[in-house]
Amino acid sequence: MHPEMERARARYRAQETPEELSFMVRAAIREGDRQRKHRRTLRRSLATALASCACFVLLVNGSPSFAQAVYEVPVLGSLARIVTVTEYTINDEERVIDVRLPALENTGHTELEQKINQEISTRIQAVIDEAEARARESKEAYVATGGDPKDYMPVIIDVDYEVKCQTDQYLSFVVEKTETRASAYTEFYTYNIDLETGKELTLRDLLGPNWMETVNTQVAQQIEERSQDPDNIYWTAEQGGFQGIEEDQPFYLNEDGRPVVVFEKYELGPGSMGNQEFVIQAGD
Amino acid sequence: MRQNVPDNRQLLVEHILNGQTDFYRLAMSYVKNRDAALDVVQEAIVKALSKVDTVREPTYLKTWFYRILINEAMNHFRRNRNLVSLEDVMVDRAEEPRDPGERLDLYDAIDRLSFPEQTVVKLRYFEDMKLEEIAQATGANLNTVKSRLYKAIRKLKDMTGEEIDDAP
Repeated sequence: MHPEMERARARYRAQETPEELSFMVRAAIREGDRQRKHRRTLRRSLATALASCACFVLLVNGSPSFAQAVYEVPVLGSLARIVTVTEYTINDEERVIDVRLPALENTGHTELEQKINQEISTRIQAVIDEAEARARESKEAYVATGGDPKDYMPVIIDVDYEVKCQTDQYLSFVVEKTETRASAYTEFYTYNIDLETGKELTLRDLLGPNWMETVNTQVAQQIEERSQDPDNIYWTAEQGGFQGIEEDQPFYLNEDGRPVVVFEKYELGPGSMGNQEFVIQAGD
Repeated sequence: MRQNVPDNRQLLVEHILNGQTDFYRLAMSYVKNRDAALDVVQEAIVKALSKVDTVREPTYLKTWFYRILINEAMNHFRRNRNLVSLEDVMVDRAEEPRDPGERLDLYDAIDRLSFPEQTVVKLRYFEDMKLEEIAQATGANLNTVKSRLYKAIRKLKDMTGEEIDDAP
């Protein structure tokens, strides 16, 4: 190696590392494990609760050829399920896009199925188009301000879904889009379907006419409980924190079929708190 | 269905524990601030572990983690650069006219390169990575990495007066 580079390397390597690095690294590993488990347990508990049927859902999602094969099995063919209809990856200089898009099948309510599937695909397509337009614009701006197009670091867009609950009666899933640029930003869309009535579920259906009160009391109480931990920071109502839920507050059903209301990052506290979820017990 | 999953998590954790000093130094060399560098490393670790199940091929874990780390570093780097005056951004600092007698130290000169150019130089010379690995870690193809490195070396030569040839 060139002696000057040798010297630069020595200077680089001599950068001091702070004492708390290894502590922070371990804490970050724990947090990463926790988030990973969260993603996995939802899938696993679903699998145990529904035994073979849920496993098939996962397998169907995993492989299109398997999906085709399962379709031929008469018993399974009659089950409502969520399958991946679109899965693609674009990887070029401007953008890295990973998409896994779900659709409903065999709910027994064709109209609802079509409506939801249509909505998912138009909504997600619009979101991706928008993100792509932003990626293009920012690249143009980058080039216009003297950047070499070859040096541009692509935008990363991730669209994925998670099945939160599936029983004979309910189907609940969340579609998530993450765009990584100046910082990672995640948007999510929740879908909850009553397979018996063929309608989208509301919190009123699940919790009765006093649903808002029920949810507000329980969320406030859980915020209070969580605030005991000094690592959790919630804004007060005056600071713009929790002031009651919205008419269309997003929620999903957990594996026990209980509604879980979700607040976006920054809604209740600083961004480091991430999305906030609260499991709500029926009030009766 | 996925027997390799626990192994991947284990491999990633080992890679993180062994390389933490390297990761911190790399982050620090971009963001130049101790707390910001710690943030970058922390966010990269959390993100990588929570997504480790998406990696199929264990041999890619190392470069995959670098890619996440570099992305996080770039986010901070860009955010901070946005706070700099517009005038500074408009001028590519490497092209600034300089007193012909003035020569920059090589290390300082690397700082003046664009983000992707810095990255190639640091990974190649300070982290001893192969060009193929750099391509994976930066999400660029091998030819782009080669030309980026070549261009960076030429700029460094202009700034320092040193002929730093690479023998790939």
